Amino acid sequence: MKAVILAAGEGSRLWPFTYSKPKVMIPVANKPILEYVVRSLVAKGMDDIIMVVGYKKERIMTHFEDGRDYGARIDYAVQKKQLGTAHALLAASKMVKGDFVVLPGDNVIDPKVVEDLLSADESPCALITESEIPSKYGVVQIRSGKIADIMEKPEEMIGNLISTGIYRMSSDAFTRIRSHSRKGFHDLTSVVRDLSSSDDVLAVHTSGKWIDAVYPWDILRVNETVLRDIGEEKSGKVEKNVTIKGPVLIGEESLLRSGSYIQGPVVIGRGCEIGPGTVIYPSTSIGDNVRVSANSVVEESVIMSDATVGPGSHISHCVIGEGAFLRSRFSSSSSTATMEVEGDFHKVGDIGSFLGEDVFCEDGVVASPGSIVGAKSRVGAMRVLRGTIPDKSLVV
Amino acid sequence: MCGIVGYTGSRKAAPLLLDSLKRLEYRGYDSAGVAIVDKKLRIHKDKGEIDNLRESMPNIPGVYGIAHTRWATHGQPTKDNAHPFADCKGEIAIIHNGIIENYLELKESLIKKGHKFRSETDTETFVHLLEENYTGDLESTFRKVLPMMKGSFAFAAVHSKEKGKIVVARKESPLVLGIGEGENFAASDISALLKETDRVIALHDNEMAVLTPESVEITTFEGKEVTRRPERIKWTVEDAERGGYEHFMLKEIFEQPQAVHNTLLGKVADFDVNRFGRDAFPSIKIVACGTSYHAALAGKYILEDIAKVPTEAQLASEYRYSTAAFGRPLVLLISQSGETTDTLGAAREARRRGRRSLAITNYVGSSITREADDVIYTRAGLEIGVAASKTFLTQLVSLYLLSIQLGLARRTLSFDESRKMKEELRLMPRAVQGVLDEHKKIQKIAKKYHKARDMFFLGRNVNYPIALEGALKMKEISYIHAEGYPAGELKHGPLALVGEKTPIVAVAIKDHTYEKMLGNIKEVSARSSPVIAIASEGDRDIEKYVDDVLYVPDVPAIFTPIPVTVVLQLLAYYAAKERGCSIDKPRHLAKSVTVE
Repeated sequence: MKAVILAAGEGSRLWPFTYSKPKVMIPVANKPILEYVVRSLVAKGMDDIIMVVGYKKERIMTHFEDGRDYGARIDYAVQKKQLGTAHALLAASKMVKGDFVVLPGDNVIDPKVVEDLLSADESPCALITESEIPSKYGVVQIRSGKIADIMEKPEEMIGNLISTGIYRMSSDAFTRIRSHSRKGFHDLTSVVRDLSSSDDVLAVHTSGKWIDAVYPWDILRVNETVLRDIGEEKSGKVEKNVTIKGPVLIGEESLLRSGSYIQGPVVIGRGCEIGPGTVIYPSTSIGDNVRVSANSVVEESVIMSDATVGPGSHISHCVIGEGAFLRSRFSSSSSTATMEVEGDFHKVGDIGSFLGEDVFCEDGVVASPGSIVGAKSRVGAMRVLRGTIPDKSLVV
Repeated sequence: MCGIVGYTGSRKAAPLLLDSLKRLEYRGYDSAGVAIVDKKLRIHKDKGEIDNLRESMPNIPGVYGIAHTRWATHGQPTKDNAHPFADCKGEIAIIHNGIIENYLELKESLIKKGHKFRSETDTETFVHLLEENYTGDLESTFRKVLPMMKGSFAFAAVHSKEKGKIVVARKESPLVLGIGEGENFAASDISALLKETDRVIALHDNEMAVLTPESVEITTFEGKEVTRRPERIKWTVEDAERGGYEHFMLKEIFEQPQAVHNTLLGKVADFDVNRFGRDAFPSIKIVACGTSYHAALAGKYILEDIAKVPTEAQLASEYRYSTAAFGRPLVLLISQSGETTDTLGAAREARRRGRRSLAITNYVGSSITREADDVIYTRAGLEIGVAASKTFLTQLVSLYLLSIQLGLARRTLSFDESRKMKEELRLMPRAVQGVLDEHKKIQKIAKKYHKARDMFFLGRNVNYPIALEGALKMKEISYIHAEGYPAGELKHGPLALVGEKTPIVAVAIKDHTYEKMLGNIKEVSARSSPVIAIASEGDRDIEKYVDDVLYVPDVPAIFTPIPVTVVLQLLAYYAAKERGCSIDKPRHLAKSVTVE
């Protein structure tokens, strides 16, 4: 049975981290979200994969190539305009026959999720799970094991079972999707909802790990969850007087300089230079070719590849994009903040700041909790960053 | 230059040989053929690409054989001239990569002895020589015949009466052996074998080997036994699949941020050049061919600017004619494959002259790594597209690394300066990504100008060699006649050729050459040539003087070749795509040139 992964969307609510890559390629624990989906599928023997790609597709294709590094065979279908999930699935319609599985590429899942879906012996079926905040998702109502209805983002509490967006269906469904598409409905939820009104759509419950990232602060939550399960592996060079506690992964040719203190779970990529005297606290991921200079403190943060953190910086609950350059004494502490994303306001607890790729900060910049800085922005010395700052801004 | 493969084992040989051959297609593809021993020796060959051969191929059982893809040097690319060649009795079949220099005299004497030649090639003489001297054992016959051959070669041969045996020999042409379980392989390079095995032994010059399903015995031509353990190769076959991209070249262009990462990995913090310290040599001579020569020319500017070492770049094929040098220069050899015949020749020449040599190459275990005293690996990974992209870029990165470390070792660069430069170098993957993110814009411009018949590429200072490379990319894949020029030379000739039908690509980076470059741009636009400028991010001023602008991330002047190269690669790629060219396999060209 083939698996179709939907990975064409931009994920604009995760801006600025989608400036040059699709949402599915945002790294958590140094691997793109999409890689967790691929690995879980392969772990359960589903190695014939079609990826529907669109927005910045090259980033996906360059990472996964033809799938052989992941034990899979990956083919690509291109969705030229990103209209919706059902429309995306249609892009792969010529490549599947009979039963297949369709799943979103932007949720981290573990192999148990795939196993649960495969255990159902009927098609079509929809995979459901419990959620603490069902109002963010499509809430399902179930009658005798079948989907009775799906309500998108209900404002009232009508139940806590939500659709994961993972379905098993057969290629017969394409006719249905096409006719829906002609009426202007392009999302898979409305197709399944329509399907459930005439056919039986089995609701399959999963107890596996299913985490999605919708907003920038979700990256930290997903990263923290994934890091709980990392192993321990140390390559690279560790100088004298470095303390390493708990599970810590260090990539090849990385250099940990004297006096640094690393408390796992922490993952550090390849070719990094950390320290001297740098402290890294739990639930931190540091990508490849990153420099964290002398006497900096990093806690519960994601620092993506090629970034530079200058000496004496403090980074708490932050996401720092690829190639960001913080000259020295960058400071971002965490607290509760109200954040605005695409016109909606969210009150988020314990949050630092979010810096897009290639942001350049001169000495002594302070980023207030909840601030978002657009990609390629340049910030002058001693500035205080607040709120949301667009891409390529100049803050002086 | 050609590709050869051999297989002996228990599986059906035909599909295996064709599959491996396909991976060598980049070495040449004007004709191809296989020889497999079934009940008797059977040979099938055809003109054109390997897919042609696959289609016309009859079902041949048999579990050992050899195959060849050809790039014509002696004799037209016809079916008759395709390898393998058989002897008159039809018992021995051979394939060959290289050139036999004394084939005419050998051929004459063989014809006198009654041998019938069916082709115009130099290669066919070898099979008749084997027949003439056959001792009942292919291995000892090889030993007898090989000393008669002048030139360069990698041979593989089978005999229909010596079951399961392949004999191979090498002199100055690449040949590797692949070690399997109950089966063994031979091929021109590792990429042909990756799907079947990751254990590889490189054959050295003047060595031959006898392969059977169970054994691989390596000896020198004189018969001295050679023991060499197989190396494990980390490249996997998936490196050779296109993975969603339309062409390998585009895939390889997009892999460049990762390739640069790999080149830098572990070398930024420490990179040992102490053995090349202050007093070791007064100057550097960089020797290379083709695209690598453009890296060499850029290297001249880079080494002189950063390390302050007087540097000269020279074409490998011309090195032997340039006998006078200032002091005893370090000879820096650049070859992607490490098998380029002219560069290897230069390496040997350098040794004859008693020079110390350092090679920059992408292939671990390639011939040049044995010819040079020291090696820097670019670690770009496998490159399939005939037009070099990521291998060129990583050669540049290696040159920066070398320059910084040399500057430190020779004290022409302070520790603080070197630290700042390394910091910039570390950010190069971002500069490359920055250009890739703008690929749609470059595509649009390529579309606008793809119908041009002629183009000029102008640059100054370190971007002059990059203009040459941009022009080379353009002509080799899009077949647009393109010339690279140092902008200052424009008025000494080429200005006579410009006009409204000759688009000019001008590298106009904000550095000390900017004002002069603007002057050159005005010169050509005054003669109504459309101008495409490659400019530094944020330079709005230039839009007034040119028709189109492509911006590159703002990096220090000496590092601008990195992003500029990527722009020019994409420009050539999209122009070729608009023109419907065979991008990964441009006509008449092959990837590594192992003939002189």
